[in-house]
Amino acid sequence: MNDVFDVALRLAIVFAVFLVAPLLVGQTEHKVMAHMQGRLGPMYAGGFHGWAQLVADGVKFAQKEDVVPAAADRRVFQLAPAVALLPYLLVLAVIPVGPGDGAVGQVVDAGIFFVLAVMGIGVLGSLMAGWASANKFSLLGGLRTAAQLLSYELPMLLAAASVAMAAGTVSLTGILDAFAWWWLPWQIVGALVFFVAGLAELQRPPFDMPVADSEIIFGAYTEYTGLRFALFLLAEYAGIVILCALTTVLFLGGWHGPFGADGLGWLWTLLKTALLAFVVIWLRVSYPRLREDQLQKLAWTTLVPLALAQIALTGIVKVAIN
Amino acid sequence: MPPIPGSGLAKGLAVTLRTMTKKTVTAQYPDTQPELPPRSRGVIGLFEENCTVCMLCARECPDWCIYIDSHKETSPPAAPGGRERSRNVLDRFAIDFSLCMYCGICIEVCPFDALFWSPEFEYAETDIHELTHERDKLREWMWTVPEPPALDPAAEEPKEIAAARKAADKLAAQRAKEQQEQQRQQPEEQPEEQGEKGEKGGNP
Amino acid sequence: MLYTAPPLVASAAGDHPGFLSPSGVEIAFLLVGLVTLGAAVITVTTRQLVHAALWLVVALGGLAVEYLLLTAEFIAWVQVLIYVGSIVVLLLFGLMLTRAPIGRSPDADSDNRWVALGVALASAAALVWVVVDAFRTTWIDLDGPAQGSTRVTGAFLFRNWVLPFEALSVLLLAALVGAIVLSRKRDTDTDTGTATDAGTDTPPRPAPTGTPGTTDRPGKGEKR
Repeated sequence: MNDVFDVALRLAIVFAVFLVAPLLVGQTEHKVMAHMQGRLGPMYAGGFHGWAQLVADGVKFAQKEDVVPAAADRRVFQLAPAVALLPYLLVLAVIPVGPGDGAVGQVVDAGIFFVLAVMGIGVLGSLMAGWASANKFSLLGGLRTAAQLLSYELPMLLAAASVAMAAGTVSLTGILDAFAWWWLPWQIVGALVFFVAGLAELQRPPFDMPVADSEIIFGAYTEYTGLRFALFLLAEYAGIVILCALTTVLFLGGWHGPFGADGLGWLWTLLKTALLAFVVIWLRVSYPRLREDQLQKLAWTTLVPLALAQIALTGIVKVAIN
Repeated sequence: MPPIPGSGLAKGLAVTLRTMTKKTVTAQYPDTQPELPPRSRGVIGLFEENCTVCMLCARECPDWCIYIDSHKETSPPAAPGGRERSRNVLDRFAIDFSLCMYCGICIEVCPFDALFWSPEFEYAETDIHELTHERDKLREWMWTVPEPPALDPAAEEPKEIAAARKAADKLAAQRAKEQQEQQRQQPEEQPEEQGEKGEKGGNP
Repeated sequence: MLYTAPPLVASAAGDHPGFLSPSGVEIAFLLVGLVTLGAAVITVTTRQLVHAALWLVVALGGLAVEYLLLTAEFIAWVQVLIYVGSIVVLLLFGLMLTRAPIGRSPDADSDNRWVALGVALASAAALVWVVVDAFRTTWIDLDGPAQGSTRVTGAFLFRNWVLPFEALSVLLLAALVGAIVLSRKRDTDTDTGTATDAGTDTPPRPAPTGTPGTTDRPGKGEKR
C-alpha cells in the first residue's frame, strides 16, 4: 500500500512539474526576451507584471474551435500533438534532481539511452503533423524537421556517449554519482555539442528553420488551432526544460555544487537548469535563423567532428587515469 | 587583425545582455499619457474668431471632409449715405474625421490662422457617424493646442514679425522725417498688424 | 520477420510448468505480442504509405516493450532510439520527399504479394524454429537480478560475441563508405553531363537530367 502511494506521489509530482515548469520557462521567455529588446513584455494579465499571461493564453486556447482541415488525415492529425508531448513527460520522470533514489521519478538502468530514445519519438509528432495537415507549408516543415533531426541526433548521441564513457555507466544517477568537478573542463566540448544539438532537435531559434514563420508560416503546426496547438507549444517548452535538465545532469554535475549542503542538492539542479533555460532564451534573442544549408553544415562539419574529438579525449584521459 | 573566431557571436550575446540591463523604452500608454510635441497630428482645432468663412480649407481638402455653412449679415453703413457692409457669419463648421487623412492642407491654407493641430488623439467612437465633429467640439480642442516650439537659434524671423518690424521701421523713419504732421495716416496700419500678430501667438 | 518472433517466444515460455497459472507479466507479454503482430500485419497490408510507416512505429515500439518485459532494458531503448527515432524518421523523410499522398496510394499494392507472403512465412518459420530450438524451456527469472541490464549485455557482447560484433561493424562501415562513394560518383556524372549538354562555361549545377527520383539527394547535397 505504501508503495502504491509512493508511486502515485512521484507521478503526481512529475506531472505537476511537467505542467508548471514549461509555463515558467515560457513566462521567463516573455519577460527576458522583452527586456533584451528594450520592451516590457506582458504587464496586465494577473496584475503584477503580467505573471498570469500564459494562464490567460491557455484559457484562450481552450476556448478556440478545434479545426481539422477537410483534406487532412483526421486521425493522424489529431494524434500528432499527443505524440509530440507525451515523450517529454516520460523523460521528465527519469531525471534525477537530487542525490539518492528519493529525488527521481523512476530510476532507469539505461537512463541516457532511454532519454535520447524517447526524445527522438517526440519529433515523430512534428512529422505526423506536417504530413497529415495536407498543406504544402506543413509538409515542408515536416521535411525540414526530419532532415534536422537526422543530422543532429548523431552529435547529440556521441556527446552523451562521451559522458557515459567517462562515468562508466549509462545510468543518469550513476553518472551523477561518479561526477567530479574536473569533469567540467574535461567534457566542456561535449557539453557544448550536446546543448547545441539539443537546441536544434527542439527546433529552437537559431535552429528554427522547420517553423520559419517568414517562409513556411509555422511549418508543421500551420494548420493547428486551439488546444492541439497549445499542446505543441507546451511540448516545445517542456523540451527546453528537459534539454536543460539533461545537460545539467550529464555535464554540469546536477546536484553537485560548491556548497552542497545535505538535502539542498535539488536546488543546485534547479538553479543550473534555470540558468541553461535562460541561455536558451538568450540565444533566441541574439542570433538570426540559420539557413538550411548552414544548419546541415554546422551539424556535419562542426558538431560531429567535435563530438568525435571529445570521445577520443575522454578515452585517452580515461585510459591515463586507469 | 583577423577577428577571433566566435567573437561576433559573443558580441551579439553581449548586445542583448546589455540591453536587458537598460531601461525599457516601452510607452505604457493607457496608464501614462504620451508627451506629444506641438503640431502633432492628433486632431484639428478651430479658433472660430479667426474664421472668415473664406472656404479655402473646404475647397483644398483632398477628401472633402470639411463642412461649412454660413450666412451673410449686413450691417448698416458706417456713414450715412454709404454702402451697407456685409460679412459672413459662420453657422456650421464640421470636420468628418472618418474621412480626414490628416494631411494638414486645411491648416496650411488657412490665411487667418483659424485651424490648428492639436495632439489630442483619443476621440474614437463606436459609430462612424459620430466621428463628424461640429464647431463646439473643434473649439474645445482648440484649448488643447500647445504653445508652438521656440525657433531654432539663429533662425529666420517669422514672416509676420518681419513684416511688422519692417513696417515699424518704415514708420519710425517716416516719423523721424516728417515729425508729427502725418500721424493720423499711419496708425490704422499699425493696429491691424499688431492684431494679426496677436492672433497667431494668442493660443492660450 | 522480427516481430513474429516474440509471441512465439512467449508460447515457448508457456511450456514452463507455470503455463496454467500465467503471471501478470506473461499475460502482458502475450497481449503486447498480439498488438505488435497486428500492427506489423497492418504495416504490410495498408494502402496508405505513411500509415504503413506509422504502424511500423507501433510494431517496433511493441517490440521494445517485449524486450522490456524480458528485462532487456538496454536493448529495448536502443531499439526505440535506432528504429523508431532514426530509421522510421528517415523512412518518413524519404516518403515525404518523394510522394506521400493523403489517402490510398494506387500503386501501393504489388502483384508479388503472394510471393512476399511465402517468403515472409518461410523466414518466420526459420526464425521460430531457430529460436525454439535454441531456448526450448529456458526460463527467465524475472525476480532475480536483471539478465538484460546494460552491464550484462555489454559484458556478454564484448566477451563472448566480439568477433561477430566487429564483423558486423565492418560490414556497416563498408556500406557507409559505399554509400558515400556512390553519391560522389553520381555528382561528377551529372556535372559533366550538364556541362557538355548545355555547352556553356558556367559552373555546372545539378540539372534535372538523369532520373528524377535518384538525383534528389545528391542534388540537395551539392547545393549545400
